[in-house]
Amino acid sequence: MSSTDVKSRLESFNCYYFDKDVTQKFISFLMKKGDVIAPHKTGELSYKYEIVSDATEVVLNYSRTILPLKKAFMPPRETLINFNIKNNQYTKPQISTEPKIFFGIHSYEMQSIKRLDYSFITGLPESNYLTRRENCKFIGVAYKPDEWHFAGSVGIDINETDGFCLYFYPAKNGYIVFEITDEGKNLLDEFGEGSEVTDEYLKLNEDKFQAKIKFHHNRIPEIFTHVYNSKVWEDVAQKCVGCGTCNLLCSTCYCYDVHDEIELDVENGQRDRFWDGCMLNKFAEVAGGENFRDNLGSRNRHRLYRKFKYITNQSDKLHCVGCGRCSRYCPANISLVEIVNDLIDDYTKQQQKEIL
Amino acid sequence: MSKPKIAFFDFTSCEGCQLNKLNLENDLLDLLELVDIVEFREAMDDKADEYDIAFIEGSISTPTCITRIHDIRRRTKILVALGACAVQGGINAIKNQHSADWVKETVYGEDKYLFPSIPVQPISAVVKVDYEVRGCPMSTPEFLHVLKSLILNRKPEIFDHAVCVECKLKENECVLDKGMFCLGPITRAGCDAICPTFGQYCTGCRGVVSNINKNGAVEMLKQHGFSTKEALNRMKMFCTLELE
Ligand code: SF4
Ligand code: SF4
Repeated sequence: MSSTDVKSRLESFNCYYFDKDVTQKFISFLMKKGDVIAPHKTGELSYKYEIVSDATEVVLNYSRTILPLKKAFMPPRETLINFNIKNNQYTKPQISTEPKIFFGIHSYEMQSIKRLDYSFITGLPESNYLTRRENCKFIGVAYKPDEWHFAGSVGIDINETDGFCLYFYPAKNGYIVFEITDEGKNLLDEFGEGSEVTDEYLKLNEDKFQAKIKFHHNRIPEIFTHVYNSKVWEDVAQKCVGCGTCNLLCSTCYCYDVHDEIELDVENGQRDRFWDGCMLNKFAEVAGGENFRDNLGSRNRHRLYRKFKYITNQSDKLHCVGCGRCSRYCPANISLVEIVNDLIDDYTKQQQKEIL
Repeated sequence: MSKPKIAFFDFTSCEGCQLNKLNLENDLLDLLELVDIVEFREAMDDKADEYDIAFIEGSISTPTCITRIHDIRRRTKILVALGACAVQGGINAIKNQHSADWVKETVYGEDKYLFPSIPVQPISAVVKVDYEVRGCPMSTPEFLHVLKSLILNRKPEIFDHAVCVECKLKENECVLDKGMFCLGPITRAGCDAICPTFGQYCTGCRGVVSNINKNGAVEMLKQHGFSTKEALNRMKMFCTLELE
């Protein structure tokens, strides 16, 4: 992506300059409007989205959080109902619709929420997710791709502003803040502290991705119609230990399991749901013990087909957003970009063998 | 409906799992409302002839263990193995990696002929085990889940996925990533990732997930800087028999 592309895209928006202090003041201003959820440094090497209690703790130059933003709308564990089996009654916990502002979000993460919206609205709408999605604003920030980000290869530019009301772009000692929507403009008008952007600050440039898929993203679904029986899946299965990390941390994976637990009075209980994943042993097991994907090759294949083919056929969008979590956190160092590139090589070889 | 009769038996073990149950202080009285405990050496002297559910702790390691476990199996409707020793042989099975004679000599010296000893086996190697509660010591919430399920005539739901899953649900920072050793990627969940959550690493006490990719696991640990030997030794600590 050349710098002129970024420029022309972002320059169509009105913008202000915020230095570091004004940025923190702005976060405090947002905190009066609702819960502000933003990245925090929470370990030796890790970041997490957390509710801001002190504006100075927000970190805007982060690589990626451990859990994706889906955790805000579909918590890792949640109680669906509380029940009593003696009198056959149940109640549902209340889900808050208080305003939430997500601050410091990367473009691929915003796009992952759009993919999840599709998944949860299509078919039977999922009411807990949709209730949590009400009253949310998203404020984006540019990021520097590390060796695992590859959003560019799935068609999501670093400075993709779709979904954000405001967008923060790093500048000397602060940020250029772009007004993306009227909602964003209203926030800035009310805050009223940004200063005018001078040429000294407006140096827009899009960083390059280090990890890349060899083919243009619009060719990827087609590749997947030819590689179902590829040897690549066996190679992956040699290395993969089936831990499920790649599913659980994926920004767009949404599968869950449901578990009833009864209290010691054997009368009251609760039905909980928690994240599940297609890499796990029991995921494709049915009554009687039959397992439709009983090996790691077919499970990895299924995982990738869900990202690049199955839902894509229905939604016209790739359901991988290139956040790189599956690869960054895989204990066996399996890289999704490498798998896709190996499949592309396999496909190309197949094609070259064909004679007219 | 009369209360189900349950009994607890210990085989070769440290008896930590049974003590773990006595630690259920808060729940113990509620528990007694639901069941009749008819045999429990650690806590009482009574004995009974028949049981609805027998909970077995410890591994099989002597000829008498075999006679005893057959006898219990005959008298119980349901048999549940409790803890790493009963479920997968556990720490005890390390002895199987050495010659039987050397082991006896080391433990009993000249008296070695007085103590008949056989290679360690999990309970399931000798009699049918209906359900398992894993861990060293066994996980108390899982024990309660199994017990409540059986009382309600439901099939207990036992996980067969890795500790990594529970770590991720809690958004823990990966300890392998921080340079520590960890067996979380191949060890069965159900402990709520208690060790990594408190800054420790997973020692694999709950045994490996089914369909374990053993070579993949060794390669994974090598990528994190551990030798094949260290990887295998650590993997075998609780799982000698599951990795054969
Ligand atoms: S994170 Fe890696 S090792 Fe774990 S299941 Fe996914 S691909 Fe396999
Ligand atoms: S498949 Fe991997 S890179 Fe793609 S969205 Fe999921 S975790 Fe991110």
